[in-house]
Amino acid sequence: MSNPILKVENLHVNFNTYAGTVQAIRDVSFDLNQGETLAIVGESGSGKSVTTKTLMGLNAKNALIPDNSRLIFKDRNLLDLTESDWQSVRGNEIAMIFQDPMTSLDPTMKIGMQIAEPLIKHRNMKKEDALKRALELMKGVGIPDSEEHINDYPHQWSGGMRQRAVVAIALAADPEILIADEPTTALDVTIQAQILNLMKTLQKDTGSSIIFITHDLGVVAGMANRVAVMYAGKIVEYGTVDEIFFNPQHPYTWGLLNSMPTTDTQQGGLQAIPGTPPDLLEPPKGDAFASRNAYALAIDSKEEPPFFRVSDTHYAATWLLDERAPKVTPPVKIQKRWAHWREMQEQESQA
Amino acid sequence: MWKYILKRLALLLFTLFLVITVTFFLMQIMPGTPFNNPKLTPEALAQLKTTYGLDLPLWQQYWNYLVGALHGDFGTSFQYQNQSVSMLIGQRLPVSAQLGAQALVVGVIAGLIMGAASARNKNNKIDGTLGIVSTLGISVPSFILGIVLVYLFGFKWPLFPVSGWGDSFSQSILPTIALAVSPAAVTTRFVRSEMIEALSSDYVQLAKAKGLSPKEIVNKHAYRNSMIPVLTLIGPMAAGLLTGSTLIEQIFSIPGIGQQFVLSIPSKDFPVIMGTTVVYAAMLMVMILITDILTAIIDPRVRLQ
Repeated sequence: MSNPILKVENLHVNFNTYAGTVQAIRDVSFDLNQGETLAIVGESGSGKSVTTKTLMGLNAKNALIPDNSRLIFKDRNLLDLTESDWQSVRGNEIAMIFQDPMTSLDPTMKIGMQIAEPLIKHRNMKKEDALKRALELMKGVGIPDSEEHINDYPHQWSGGMRQRAVVAIALAADPEILIADEPTTALDVTIQAQILNLMKTLQKDTGSSIIFITHDLGVVAGMANRVAVMYAGKIVEYGTVDEIFFNPQHPYTWGLLNSMPTTDTQQGGLQAIPGTPPDLLEPPKGDAFASRNAYALAIDSKEEPPFFRVSDTHYAATWLLDERAPKVTPPVKIQKRWAHWREMQEQESQA
Repeated sequence: MWKYILKRLALLLFTLFLVITVTFFLMQIMPGTPFNNPKLTPEALAQLKTTYGLDLPLWQQYWNYLVGALHGDFGTSFQYQNQSVSMLIGQRLPVSAQLGAQALVVGVIAGLIMGAASARNKNNKIDGTLGIVSTLGISVPSFILGIVLVYLFGFKWPLFPVSGWGDSFSQSILPTIALAVSPAAVTTRFVRSEMIEALSSDYVQLAKAKGLSPKEIVNKHAYRNSMIPVLTLIGPMAAGLLTGSTLIEQIFSIPGIGQQFVLSIPSKDFPVIMGTTVVYAAMLMVMILITDILTAIIDPRVRLQ
């Protein structure tokens, strides 16, 4: 598991707009290990989609990435690639599953052909061979009676079927890295589960690594090995899925977990994080979350917190972890999670 | 599909019947008479009216016209004696249609190329230049353009003949350009906005994520999708072009149907007005039918029924 296939180092992405420079990504670093699923979690505007677009080289023209940012994949920095180099990476070594299956397929092209396209492009396959492989892929993602449906157009399919086709397109050229940008957000819950299971099965078969972007912590639990929580263009906490769910340290992660409805959520008990994310045209000084944070310390508005080590795999950027910080009591639900974490630790040490 | 086309053709005939009826009775409301030569004696006038059947009751005239039309007889021109309307149109329509078809092909192809170029270079110099060119193309009337072309390429640098028809292909070049500029400009603007929409769509994002080049994306995905709305523009445009342009035909002395139609109105040449109106209406409806069929071919979501 300690074999990173992708290393993101000091990534900054700025967008020049009429209003000024938007600092969408502010110093993000993470590794993606071979065969693992890394979830990137955050609310709208936290920079998770810009991160994925950067990984695909699909940012808008006004994006500026400073020279010290590095995306190391197979011994090269993806940020140095020319547009034509990128074309041989996209859909081939790094592929993407899009959010909305109702709009991400071309309505005027047969679905079989849309799945065959990456094969024709990257594997130099003839059209007939590519279509044969497309048929196998359709069977692989669980399209019933694939032979009859290979010449269908997208409007003839339901949303869940279309998302299977989108998954098949992403998998067509056997990518090493699969980026799933909220792949189930547009689907209803039963179909969500089907698509997630499909992705897990396919990952087992192909051994690819997945970056799973979502704002839905509920789907993270079943999918990811590790989780990175993003806020205002930065990663604020990362760790294994258990560490993030049961031993969260950053108040923003508390807020996210706290706002997840659970089976014992009382009526009217749905919790939200107050306020809105900061304006990234002028990011606030210090901790960007401070203004929305009930546990904010005086230093939060002056100085940015560094990452504090919780364990070898778990780090969080909050001054609360500094030894000089006062001990605070997190929300009740988080305390319950911590209690569960302690039980898990005990069981582990006994075993 | 064939059943649908037959149904549409039947509807076309019914619409033509309505057009004939409305036009026929509208003409009766028009003031004046076709025979307004002050030298005509009352006897001669009566004689003329009998010859053309204008002394009959109105309903009888209407009935006669309908029966004649069903047999392909659209009457005889008042203005050009002994010229049947069918012959008149038969001689002049092909001239206008050829000129219109040339202008349509040139205009639409130029519009598709410039519109796509504009969209792909959105908000830079190429787009800006094409924007100015297409705005000029839409706002400068074709007859002014025709006169400028005659001055430049017929007089200043005499490269092309400036009048006449049928002696050589080169005679048709200047009028084709004059006629094609406006449709080219309209198509450019329309294709630009449709293409920009297509290029920002999710399926183009997905096509990019597949690793396709910008050229492949435009040719395989964006063009086809942006053509669907563009077709609805081209259908009526084609009908307008194929039925001739009065002013351009006048400037370049082309014996087309456009001139004929306009001249027939002040001279109250009823059968010619009727005939050309029917041709215009039929042309428009046929073009709309063709547009619908093409739309169904390009867009799998549209089914003809």
